[in-house]
Amino acid sequence: MSLPCGTRDYTYDTDMAILRTKTQWGLFIGLLVFLFTLPLYLGNYWLGVANLIGITLIAATGLNILTGYCGQLSIGHAGFIAVGAYTSAILTNRLGLPFLAGLVCAGLTAGVIGLIFGIPSVRVKGFYLAITTIAAQFIIIWVINHWSALTGGFVGIKVPYASIGGFAFISEGSQFYLIMTITVLCTLLAKNLARTRVGRAFIAIRDNDLAAEVMGISLFYYKLLAFFIGCFLAGIAGSLLAHWVGFMNAEHFRLTESILYVGMIIIGGLGTTLGPILGVIFIRLLQQILTVQVGPFLESTFTALPSGFATGIAPMLFGLVIVLFLIFEPRGFAHRWTLFKAAYRLWPFSY
Amino acid sequence: MAELVQYLITGIAVGMVYALIALGFALIWKSSSVANLALGQLVLLSSWFTYGMLVQARFPLWLSFPLVILFAMFLGWTIERVALRPLIAQPILSLITVTLGIAYFIEGLVSFIWPWSVDALPRLFPTEPIHIGTAVVSQEYIWVVGISLVVFGLLSLFFRYHKMGIAMRATADDQLAVQACGIPVTTIFSRSWMFACIVAAIGGILISSIGGITYGLVETGLKAFSVVILGGLDSFLGCIIAGPIIGLCESLGGGFLTPFLWAGVKDIIPFVIIIIVMVIKPYGLFGEVRIERI
Repeated sequence: MSLPCGTRDYTYDTDMAILRTKTQWGLFIGLLVFLFTLPLYLGNYWLGVANLIGITLIAATGLNILTGYCGQLSIGHAGFIAVGAYTSAILTNRLGLPFLAGLVCAGLTAGVIGLIFGIPSVRVKGFYLAITTIAAQFIIIWVINHWSALTGGFVGIKVPYASIGGFAFISEGSQFYLIMTITVLCTLLAKNLARTRVGRAFIAIRDNDLAAEVMGISLFYYKLLAFFIGCFLAGIAGSLLAHWVGFMNAEHFRLTESILYVGMIIIGGLGTTLGPILGVIFIRLLQQILTVQVGPFLESTFTALPSGFATGIAPMLFGLVIVLFLIFEPRGFAHRWTLFKAAYRLWPFSY
Repeated sequence: MAELVQYLITGIAVGMVYALIALGFALIWKSSSVANLALGQLVLLSSWFTYGMLVQARFPLWLSFPLVILFAMFLGWTIERVALRPLIAQPILSLITVTLGIAYFIEGLVSFIWPWSVDALPRLFPTEPIHIGTAVVSQEYIWVVGISLVVFGLLSLFFRYHKMGIAMRATADDQLAVQACGIPVTTIFSRSWMFACIVAAIGGILISSIGGITYGLVETGLKAFSVVILGGLDSFLGCIIAGPIIGLCESLGGGFLTPFLWAGVKDIIPFVIIIIVMVIKPYGLFGEVRIERI
């Protein structure tokens, strides 16, 4: 990480710290304060959008660990989120377990399912793995739709609101605190994971898995670990999604959603902590603005537009954004941000 | 017995269509090692375009079919030129994801132009059923098998004797050597995309003239991946053999397993096959096992 001039480290602890200068601490605390006072400034609608962004961010962070750090492309992420959502829904609705138990079990179940579908990753990679995860997505959604005794099938299942120790998270504001706390924790977890032995092993596997194995990194262990962690976070996100929406059916977890997740981490920047945050905010805001505000507005203003305008324009733009980012800025927003920071620091003397 | 014959014939017919679509994948993979995940969406778009020509514009069949082929060629050329050409020599992750982006775009385009999302193509083939023993089979399936075989035959003749076909096979074999011979590799890439779109369009027309145009066509395209995986990624022969196998598994499994399992088990069989092949024999029946070096 590049630092401003004059920052010196005298112990290993300060050298390893994430936040190293007073300015960084100030900005970090300011960000946290801003984040947790957000319900004061935002209305219910935008709080809902913020909640959705938080939930998506947890899942995208998981996918970023799996795809961005470990290089194992997964196009079935929505399927793993569905596993988490349904585990939590079934445990709390049918068995009456408390929310926290549902949350943890959702993560673990999704992680284990991810492990099962991740087993082929030990032998194959690239396109083969992409196809395996697509198959995983279809199998998971099919089971959810047809095992109606457990999951409610096509009709769906009702999910009670989250509650911890008698306090129920019913309003958007209270749910915001729940979701944001978990999101911040997950982001910090991902940030720290990347700096440990495990994270470095992941990066080695991404860059060249054969070379990594020759160096003594166990591919079996680390690839499956990446699948477990990625899908665990997806499960957590799924559980939160279920308790936030209050009603689950498989329509929430289509293949296009999985593609969108891959798009988010690419637009944000693969293999960075900042990437998923920027990508998720960008895509979800674009989605809200397009489908909820601009689309219907344009449709009612210009009646000559074809009737599929509002539903068709969003996927078209998303596809276009993914393609354009891959062509013009494959390293995503995060790279642009680093460039901007460097330019800002060195201005007006860039050397 | 009668049921069995019925399942066999529908299975082979559907399998041939999968094989056609899968052939399009193998073409692109062999020449440029781009994994095209937008197959299903290509099938969907070209079926809707056929609908637009036949039903909305009321063109006769002899005019609309060449137009669909022209459209497919244009589509393939555009995709290659706009999205894939700038990404030559990029990591495989980018190449896969860019086709996902294309898939997303096409899906939006389809719901933009044809928002009602379900419709029927006019029947292209005679529908009177024919009797084989005690079994009653719709004649359409026989036509589908016949047309797919003709397309396969034409394509293999093309690859065997035509100059362009030979150049494409050479590119698949060794890109550097081909470049050294003065064959423009980018043109080959673009041609292989055109061919892929054409076979996807033919497959789409065949399958949607029987089953109608629905969003399920995307799934049909995805099921074609099980053919690709089972047959081996870089093998044309593998496609032609694995296609009917997948089709048969699907229709026989759907026919005989449904009483024991949940309804709709048919839709999931190809995906289960993908997982099984991945675990047991990841490079498929005829695929070349790649030995990697550091």
